[in-house]
Amino acid sequence: MKIRTIAFNTFGSFLRDKLIILFCIVFACVVLLMMTPMLAVKAMTTVSNAQQMQAMVLGIVATIMSMMSGFGSLLAAWAAADSVATEMKSGTILAVMARPVERWEFLLGKFLGVMLMMAIYVLLMFGLSYLLAWMGGERIQSTPWVLLVYPMVRYAMYAAIAMLLVTVFHSVVTFGIVLGLSVLALMVAPTSRSSTIMMRFIRIPLYQVLPSTTLLSEDRFLSITHASLKQVGWLDHATTLAYGLDYALVYLLLAMLSFHYRSLKRD
Amino acid sequence: MSNPAIEFREVTKVYRRRLGGTEICALTNVSFEVSPGQVCAFLGPNGAGKTTGISILMGFLYPDSGAIRVLGYEPGDVRAKQQIGFVPENFAFYKHLSAEKLMRFHFALSGRPVIGTEELIRELLLKVKLNGYERLKIAKYSRGMVQRLGIAQAMLGNPQLLVLDEPTSGLDPAGRKEVRDLMSSLKAEGKTIFLSSHLLSEVEQICDRVVIVDRGRLVRSGTMEELLGSSDRVEIVIDQLPHPTLPALEECGAAIERGAHGVKITVNTMRKRELAEALWAAGCDVISITPVRSSLEELFLKLVGNGGGPV
Repeated sequence: MKIRTIAFNTFGSFLRDKLIILFCIVFACVVLLMMTPMLAVKAMTTVSNAQQMQAMVLGIVATIMSMMSGFGSLLAAWAAADSVATEMKSGTILAVMARPVERWEFLLGKFLGVMLMMAIYVLLMFGLSYLLAWMGGERIQSTPWVLLVYPMVRYAMYAAIAMLLVTVFHSVVTFGIVLGLSVLALMVAPTSRSSTIMMRFIRIPLYQVLPSTTLLSEDRFLSITHASLKQVGWLDHATTLAYGLDYALVYLLLAMLSFHYRSLKRD
Repeated sequence: MSNPAIEFREVTKVYRRRLGGTEICALTNVSFEVSPGQVCAFLGPNGAGKTTGISILMGFLYPDSGAIRVLGYEPGDVRAKQQIGFVPENFAFYKHLSAEKLMRFHFALSGRPVIGTEELIRELLLKVKLNGYERLKIAKYSRGMVQRLGIAQAMLGNPQLLVLDEPTSGLDPAGRKEVRDLMSSLKAEGKTIFLSSHLLSEVEQICDRVVIVDRGRLVRSGTMEELLGSSDRVEIVIDQLPHPTLPALEECGAAIERGAHGVKITVNTMRKRELAEALWAAGCDVISITPVRSSLEELFLKLVGNGGGPV
């Protein structure tokens, strides 16, 4: 009951958060701008260049989807950091924590509020994937849950990391660290081209410690450019998702521990 | 004897900067008790450690040493918080909510079912004169209205202990009187109130007990009678002062103050009878004889005005 109340209140605050609204508007504009060349290419398609144009269209679609997916991670991190930091800054946390609410309940409520917002984001992303694939002349042959659950777990990881960091640092510093971590995680991923230049003994431990978003990317199973689902067994799905959930849980528990010993006062 | 509602034992809190290593001692070995049903004022100049003390009491801050019990529990224990109503200094709310929604939010945080609370919320808002503004966004409230809303939310769930950090700040004289009356009625209901305030005249009117801190140290703690009622002087008010009585007054070491409504003579308690009889015999009309009680403000300034010091 208390956790749910905090979660819904957090979600309500996001809907009024000017910075989040601004981010989303700017991002929506970028996506719409990127759709313009895609539609232009589609319009210029003739029988003779059909194959080449189709590849271009699908390339743009894939780029938009990757961008949207990556933006989601940053949005989750920012929302998680900001949801706690704003309460501290404004002092509203004092009134909330004066109620019979445990500190972990407060943090869990905040986390669930973030995940509620990210669920809507994932649904929008899901709809956009189908729309773009349809516009690109392809049909996504995927089980929908892959496109829904994988990003959610990925965002849960980022939100949990941000929540841990914000119990120690300022929200802007937290966001910067998360941004740095996500870039580094991409660099050390085995699939990354830049990883080859890194020394092996640095890359492997970093890959194990950092949030491996490539592992949790729906691209592992679905490539929009081919719009077909790669055949993966349930065990692989279960192991990968368990990795992500475990990662998020560990960070969330660490965040709760750190928050437990934190002084609650107006920043 | 019942357990104290609030108990501070040798509480010390030091603020440390992460970098630089500067240390600020906010509280040093502070000890005091507040019994159930008492109204206790936590006084001190700015930066004395009042808000730190209240934050420790509420479980927002952890002390470096010492022990605190609130209603028999550790600070921050949900069982204690279930019985506490709290108004922080400069109360901050979610500005996008209305008073009604905020009250419902706090009700839900108390772990109580929200359904069927409309009447109770309306009653509480009426008590703080916010009826008619229930659906107005808090962002549009004046500072005084926000403060009154803070008091209303603190009273949610019929708490046994009210912790109020500057409850009358931002209120106009009428608002302050309303809060004072509200506290008096809560006192009559047997609630324990622990408040910090700079308005000493108000504190003097409603409080049973006073705890004064300065620079993190306890400078005085006790009941109002203990602190203010120990004067050895009385004030005799007469209608007029006949000239022949002056030598007798001088001999008694009396202080004379002439006013529009009579003459005020302050003298040592030991000599009051002798002087009153002399004045009576000289044909004066003795209007009143009252013990001189120093005001809380005088005591406060005496204790902390020159920097204070430990007891």
